[in-house]
Amino acid sequence: MIDMEQRVAAYLMHRMPAAREVQIDECARIQGGSSQETYRLRGRWHEDGQPIERRLILRRAPPAGLVVAERDIEFTVYHALANQGVPVPGVHWFEADPQWLDQPFFIMDMMPGKPGHFYTSDDPYDGHGEAVARQFWRHLGTLARIDHRALGLDTLRNGTADDSFWSRELDWWADIFHKGEGVVEPIVHAAIRWLRRNPPPPAMKPAIVHGDYRAGNFLFTADGAISAILDWEMCHIGDPLEDVAWAIDPFWPMTRHLSLDQGLAEWEQASGMAVDRAALDWWRLFSAVKASAIWATAEASFTQGPVREMVVGMSGIRAGHFHRKVILDYMAERGHGA
Amino acid sequence: MNLTLETLLHGVAATLRDRIAPAIEDSFAIEASRLAAMLITISANAVDDAAAARVWENAALRALFADAQPAFGGDLARRLGEAALSADPGLKISELDRENARLRTILVELHAAVENADNDQACKLDARIWRLLRETEERRAPRS
Repeated sequence: MIDMEQRVAAYLMHRMPAAREVQIDECARIQGGSSQETYRLRGRWHEDGQPIERRLILRRAPPAGLVVAERDIEFTVYHALANQGVPVPGVHWFEADPQWLDQPFFIMDMMPGKPGHFYTSDDPYDGHGEAVARQFWRHLGTLARIDHRALGLDTLRNGTADDSFWSRELDWWADIFHKGEGVVEPIVHAAIRWLRRNPPPPAMKPAIVHGDYRAGNFLFTADGAISAILDWEMCHIGDPLEDVAWAIDPFWPMTRHLSLDQGLAEWEQASGMAVDRAALDWWRLFSAVKASAIWATAEASFTQGPVREMVVGMSGIRAGHFHRKVILDYMAERGHGA
Repeated sequence: MNLTLETLLHGVAATLRDRIAPAIEDSFAIEASRLAAMLITISANAVDDAAAARVWENAALRALFADAQPAFGGDLARRLGEAALSADPGLKISELDRENARLRTILVELHAAVENADNDQACKLDARIWRLLRETEERRAPRS
């Protein structure tokens, strides 16, 4: 990591010409955000004669990953959402020039707290499960209430659209699925056809959709407060129910800490909107298709190399199967194969 | 005693998980080692019946195509008939997978055609296809 520390220090000197004695140390790669490499590091320098120390996170685009994200989306969204009622890290610099770290990257504040290990623990939030879940839903409701145009986020995907979000997103993810599909998966094809034949009602409003709002993508502190919502690289404008459905996908369940009805009540209060359960069911099946597309991309990424992260391989092998079974169950509920 | 590939891979996974991972200090590398051990275990558990699962699925698809063929006309009926009479080109996994991809592509077309037909026979075929898809998924489930 010494080379990484030296390169980051050189970059900070470039971005902060007034800073003196810039040092970067304690650099370590951490798990999180499978579509981007994530490093924590400590930065120290002097500015106007005063010593400054910052704990920072660096997110670097990998050569390939789970999703093909536009590199500056996450930085743009973090910047726009500062002080909007949804906890996000402060961001400092985005860099697209590969001369510094070979790939585009950005640097933001390291926030206090930790993610809950919901796969390996029955109590991932250290006894604060219900409190964390209530905040989880309230923050998502707050996000849905925000006017994205007022924040300049009409540059996001679908940012200037007012409707047809379901078909836009279905087209988007079906295309990604078909591009990544190594093994022909008739189950996913059938689900896509069903979604096209049975469209949901129009969105209640165009909303900022996080795109990957779920357990594992936020931090909580020892007192049970959510300190940051992370991993916004799939953020776009769409139907707010897309995030609600994604949040309750059985692969990362929040409903074991707070019932679905209670969670949706929190969301409704924060968003000022009522959940149409039939529409939500459409988005739940959509979520399984979207997940299948992500896992298909993971399979393709691992197959093609050159970077072969174990978490990407595991996603391709195990998560793909999981969501095909979810689709089978959802389709059975709709009278197909019951 | 025959040292099978399955047993060998389980041994490799156990070494990675129980001996190598605990000796690593870097937390990212520890997690990568743990996941690698799990992937090797899944691979080990898939070795023995990999060919059998594919042979079974390809045969089930051909039987479905044979039964569905009379309900359709034109190019789809012709291709269903041809596929129903086809055979696996060999028993290598790569050979079976190529054949499986060809048959699955026809299944996707058949399923779409079934959905567009509004009659009792189509309903029965739809139900049969979903049962086949579920059984296939269960047979191919990764075991860790």
